[in-house]
Amino acid sequence: MPADVAARCRIEIAGLRKSFLAEGREVVAVDDASFRIHDGEFVALLGPSGCGKSTILNMVATLITPNGGDIRVDDAPVIPGRPIPQVGYVFQKDTLFPWRTVEGNIGYALELAGVPAAERRGRVDQAIHQAGLDGFARFYPSSLSGGMRQRVSLMRTLIAQPEILLMDEPFGALDTHTKLDMHSVLLDLWEHTRQTVLFVTHDLGEALTLADRIILMSARPGRVKQDFKVDFARPRDAVTLRETPQYAELFSRIWHSLGEEFAKGRSV
Amino acid sequence: MRRLSTLLWQVAIGLAALAIWQWGWQLHDTLPWLVPDLLDPYFVSRPSDIYQQFLRMGCLVSSDGQWTWDEAGAFARCIGKSDNNLWIATYYTLKNTLWGFAIGVSSGFALGLLLGRSDRLSEIFYPYITAFNSIPRIALAPIIILAFGIGDASKIVTAWLVVVFLVFFNTFEGARSVDRDHINAARLLGAGEWQVTRTVIVPSTMAWLFASLTPAVSFSLIGVIVGEFIGAEHGIGRMIIEAEARGEAAGMMVAVFVLMIVGVILASIVRRVQAYLLRWRPAQTIGTT
Repeated sequence: MPADVAARCRIEIAGLRKSFLAEGREVVAVDDASFRIHDGEFVALLGPSGCGKSTILNMVATLITPNGGDIRVDDAPVIPGRPIPQVGYVFQKDTLFPWRTVEGNIGYALELAGVPAAERRGRVDQAIHQAGLDGFARFYPSSLSGGMRQRVSLMRTLIAQPEILLMDEPFGALDTHTKLDMHSVLLDLWEHTRQTVLFVTHDLGEALTLADRIILMSARPGRVKQDFKVDFARPRDAVTLRETPQYAELFSRIWHSLGEEFAKGRSV
Repeated sequence: MRRLSTLLWQVAIGLAALAIWQWGWQLHDTLPWLVPDLLDPYFVSRPSDIYQQFLRMGCLVSSDGQWTWDEAGAFARCIGKSDNNLWIATYYTLKNTLWGFAIGVSSGFALGLLLGRSDRLSEIFYPYITAFNSIPRIALAPIIILAFGIGDASKIVTAWLVVVFLVFFNTFEGARSVDRDHINAARLLGAGEWQVTRTVIVPSTMAWLFASLTPAVSFSLIGVIVGEFIGAEHGIGRMIIEAEARGEAAGMMVAVFVLMIVGVILASIVRRVQAYLLRWRPAQTIGTT
């Protein structure tokens, strides 16, 4: 892939390993995982649940300390507990601050950075508009639907304009239609900014819709099994893409390989 | 329909209770097994007497039985006659209750936050705090009067003692149960240690603090009244003790009635403030705290 060679490497993972103690026994969640992600790439980390894909993401995000191996972001080693300024993270769980309104949540990162109120308001209004949340600025998260909350979460992270975006099954808890809707929102936003994305999911359709590349993980202990290139034209349409023959073809190729891992995951 | 019938029942029960209180004693001689001795007006007075006494103690009626607003200056003259009439007493009790509440809540919150977020400090201090907490605070009131005198300070300190632990334990629990994901989210969005404290730990602990405010204001009032029982120059508690010494049941009842009004008003103000500050919570949980 000559294009990738030319592009700057943003995330580099080499020989990454993580094990947990569960009821006195050591469980290896991630074993010798290695891959690189280049500038502007949208990469999906795909695998059955329990394969350690979220663990890898959380290690990159400095939330979990690895047992071995190397993580480098922009050539600098990642130090657990010390967040990297150019990295944004979107949680699987709803982590909006319930005591802040929609605009309060979205503007949070700007507040921390000391952006003046007038500029902040402008950027927050724009973000609210981009996420299709017009009219909800003064609402508290408790009165929003799951899909709307996840849009707020997304904008809360994106407003700081992170160059690298880590997403941990952000739409995992949403129903199919809301999920498709969120894919359109995300694709739209990403078309404009083209940041580097590492997106964890167990949903092959989601991975194909969004990503340029799919890294398929094996069942526990998690290893990188295969690397697929997803070269559908952009900009993509989250709904009609699924009806194209290329989509069907790639889907069935990966589906077969993913199915083996699901089966293995069940037998352990 | 249902609300109307509830209201009717409430009014009916209230009127029945007042009627028994007013006239029940008259049946004592004929039906001694039905009317308990406690209904003796010597102990509990009668609603009509209490009403008259209230008018006199509140200087709404002067000693000669005239409405004070019929004559210019009569109200002021009546007020000037005593240094612990109903108005002055209520003022002192209310003032000390609010001070005790304010100081108790702020110090309890600060302490709870500090110990709740520091494992080291809570480890060291926890046995002392639990030991202290098992002392009925009211038992310390005489010592406090001895130390702080019979003025306002001793009442405020007694109220503070009662409030501070309640608020402390609530805040402590709240500070320990701050959602880790909220803290992580804040960190990943660029918050430093102090910013995490200010923007995540304090607001999410506040929810627990607010839940303790309604009992705290009632407790503060209890603390002040007990302090006034033991030694005071002013206040409703003092008024009750004086009326008791004179064997005036009606006077005691007026004081108790005023305390009830004060308690209801304070609690409803705190509840309103609390509901406003917790408006971000889902609607169904606002009422339960």
